[in-house]
Amino acid sequence: MLLRYITRRMLIGVIQLFCLVIAVFFLIRLLPADPVSRLVGLNSSPEGYEQAARQLGLDRPLFEQLWIYLGLSPDIAPGLLQGSLGVSWASGSTVGSEIATFLPVTLQLITLAFILAFIISIPVGMLGALNPGKAADKGVFVYSLFAGSQPEFWWGLLFVYVFYFQLGVAPAPLGQLSPMTFPPEPVTGFMLIDTLIAGEPAKFFEALHHLMMPVITLAFILSGPIIKMVRQNMLRALQSDFVLYANLIGLPRKRVARYALRAAMGPSMTLIGILYGFMLSGAVLVESVFSLGGIGQYAIRSVLAFDYPAIQGVVLVITAISLVVYLLLDLIHAAIDPRIAY
Amino acid sequence: MNGDNPLLRVRDLKVGYEVPGDLIVPVEGVSFDLNPHEVVGLIGDAGSGKSTTALALMGLARPPGKILGGSVEFGGRDLLTLPDAEIREIRGRDIGIIVQNPRAALNPMLRVGRQIGFAYRAHNEATEAAARAHAIDMLRLVGINDPERRVEAYAHELSGGMAQRALIAMALSSTPKLLIADEPTSGLDVTIQAQFLDEMWQTVQKTGSAMLLVTQELGVIANFCDRVLVLHKGRIVEDAPVRQFFAEPQHPYSQEVLRFYHERASGYPEQVTGGAGFLRTDALTKHFPLRGSDKVVQAVDKVTISVAKGEAVGLVGESGSGKTTVGRCLMRLEHPTAGAVILDGQDITALNAAEMRKMRSRMQIVFQDPFDSVNPRWTVADILDEPLRVHEGGDKAARRERAVAALKQVDLDPSLMIAKPRDLGASTLQRINIARALICNPDFVVLDEPTSVLAPRARNSLIALLARLQKELGISYLFISHDLTTVRYLCQRVAVMYLGQIVEEGSVEQVFTAPQHPYSRALLSAHLMPDPTNRRVDNPVPAALEGEIPSPIDVPKGCYLASRCPHVTDACRANPQVLTDLGQGRAVRCERVVAGEITLQEAAHD
Repeated sequence: MLLRYITRRMLIGVIQLFCLVIAVFFLIRLLPADPVSRLVGLNSSPEGYEQAARQLGLDRPLFEQLWIYLGLSPDIAPGLLQGSLGVSWASGSTVGSEIATFLPVTLQLITLAFILAFIISIPVGMLGALNPGKAADKGVFVYSLFAGSQPEFWWGLLFVYVFYFQLGVAPAPLGQLSPMTFPPEPVTGFMLIDTLIAGEPAKFFEALHHLMMPVITLAFILSGPIIKMVRQNMLRALQSDFVLYANLIGLPRKRVARYALRAAMGPSMTLIGILYGFMLSGAVLVESVFSLGGIGQYAIRSVLAFDYPAIQGVVLVITAISLVVYLLLDLIHAAIDPRIAY
Repeated sequence: MNGDNPLLRVRDLKVGYEVPGDLIVPVEGVSFDLNPHEVVGLIGDAGSGKSTTALALMGLARPPGKILGGSVEFGGRDLLTLPDAEIREIRGRDIGIIVQNPRAALNPMLRVGRQIGFAYRAHNEATEAAARAHAIDMLRLVGINDPERRVEAYAHELSGGMAQRALIAMALSSTPKLLIADEPTSGLDVTIQAQFLDEMWQTVQKTGSAMLLVTQELGVIANFCDRVLVLHKGRIVEDAPVRQFFAEPQHPYSQEVLRFYHERASGYPEQVTGGAGFLRTDALTKHFPLRGSDKVVQAVDKVTISVAKGEAVGLVGESGSGKTTVGRCLMRLEHPTAGAVILDGQDITALNAAEMRKMRSRMQIVFQDPFDSVNPRWTVADILDEPLRVHEGGDKAARRERAVAALKQVDLDPSLMIAKPRDLGASTLQRINIARALICNPDFVVLDEPTSVLAPRARNSLIALLARLQKELGISYLFISHDLTTVRYLCQRVAVMYLGQIVEEGSVEQVFTAPQHPYSRALLSAHLMPDPTNRRVDNPVPAALEGEIPSPIDVPKGCYLASRCPHVTDACRANPQVLTDLGQGRAVRCERVVAGEITLQEAAHD
């Protein structure tokens, strides 16, 4: 039952991705842009221009380009079917390998930020819901107002100012490790994991130290909406008949609170999924402030360079990750609430 | 009646809630005693504060409500001043409660057995395994079949009756000294209602608890309670033993509630003569296709009924019997799959849209929920004007005059013309629905459970109004209801439906005094007549029908009742039954009854 559901969702996901590939492929080619002249410069000779166009494959008819991209003409170049996202026009290396460098940085950042935001939000949201209108609830309101309403780069800069410049407890916002440290051999791309694999705990803690500020900044921003949602869902759960009845039957306070929390968590999963998908590219401001080369920065760079294969690759990968995250959260939701049927 | 040592002593209990600039106090000073082993009924209108009182006895109020004052003395302590931890110990251990809407009261995310286990372990030292075993025992005690399997069920997998039983199993798991039951049977079918109350009554007797039974139904009070408390406008206005209450109600409110009971002596409504077959159906059939399958839901199966001019015909049966669909087909709100609906000689299923629109002024329907039936943004004047505008036109002043007259006709004040639905109570709004249905002078009205959401007093006056209008205007009614008491008062003839078929029809007197079909018998024996001299708990009644109504998707081959009938034979299971005329306007769909194999006497001995 469960396996069938997952398989079905995966299949639907593949179809969605396929449609997306087609749409993105044509949409970027509708742009009034000339990637070839961007590459060779405006002063190049017509011969040089033509040669560059031939190199990029842009001299071929549109559908042939699509065929190649999809991997249906492997004799010319490997495509999606062969597991290749193509070659970046800007850098000449494969898009796959570039995404593999940039994506883990972002995933590591936002996953940790989400975990931290969750750890903060659930008790805080519960506190507000359990004492509606009281001082604690008002405090929660003010917190979530601040956390949710100011742009993250502003908070990032403020935190850098306070914790690095004034207090000196945080490292300089200059990337995943100090500029002097030699990074470990990339295996997974996740700095925290790679340092452990390399057996260098000192670098692991250094990476953690460097991640601290961006993670806190992002978690602070994320906790705003999450707290509001937990509080709202919790309030609704606390007013439900079954919580009233749990009180009527004399269950201990703690048990009643757990009843309500569980009821509140289910609907929260949907928003978490949407936020996570959004953050994959939305964390770019925080990444920029802390000089972390994440997927968002890669995406912006590719767009500015009219680097079509890179744009396509980023869109595809981010969407695929979002779909998997949605599926995972739906599964968690179903585990929390037995009324959800596959 | 108050003993020297009451179990529960309530004094001057007040519950209210603040709205900006005002304090609303729905319960303003309730005082009463409850004695050990006593079953006490608490009756009152919707909004009289019954449920609020029941919750307040446990020291709780639904937010934003607050308990404002008074005392609830139990075991020598005032529950309202106890610290939170101590009152939590008393709740569930000493006082159990079951509430309306049991499925919502169960935690949807936990298996029923675990919830009962939590309730048990909150008050008793027990391991998880012991609590589970206890939960199974409790479920068996409250009459759930196969409790080992049901403990694993979630609330949404239980039927309403089963969820209510699970709730009572939880409430009684620590053998409380007092059980508060807040309308425990609202939303259940009559047959299940009686069975459930029997079981609950017996369980309470077995565990030696006292019971406070909150209800709107006189039948429940009469059959199960020793004493009656009448709650009116937030106060107890009458406190009397049940027989005394029915014989000599003291308070004007009680007298009004009991008006029907006292008027019963006047006999059955007079039969009408002539005008037979003014509205009739011919083998009316309605199937709903099932999505993603070739199967159909057989909602109505060859129903042939006939309503004479000026006659009221009752259509009764459990939920799921198809009675509402019949009403909707008559109005052509649903198009019948087969069969004809003939009003005054004209087959309305054959009319085109324009002709049908004209026909609609001659036939009207009143729905169950008065609030759902009107546009909440319109004033009463708009609501009443709409049918006139659509069907008759004419100038505005004349239409307004008609609307005012229609309001007067249903005993409402013309000042209500500017009111909006949200300002009105359910009973007033239902009168407006009736006025709207009658404003174009229809010949025929379908009344689809028009009284089921109303409190007993409002129900009585609405039925009286309908009876009066019928007499004055000579309209025909099809009165769809599961409340047999109202059918008995309003209707001349009655048809009993089961699983889309009519199983018996006849005059109300015939069917009510001597039902023939086994299903009609079960239905009538399950009906709680408000008669304290002939209590259900004093004379055990024949067992109700086993099991639940089969699915209308896979209907049985032979008699539809075969799976539940105490008189079933192999022939019944094999042969489809036909509705057989017995003469004198009676018909019954049971070959054993027709053959005289099941007699009334035999049934009485069952």
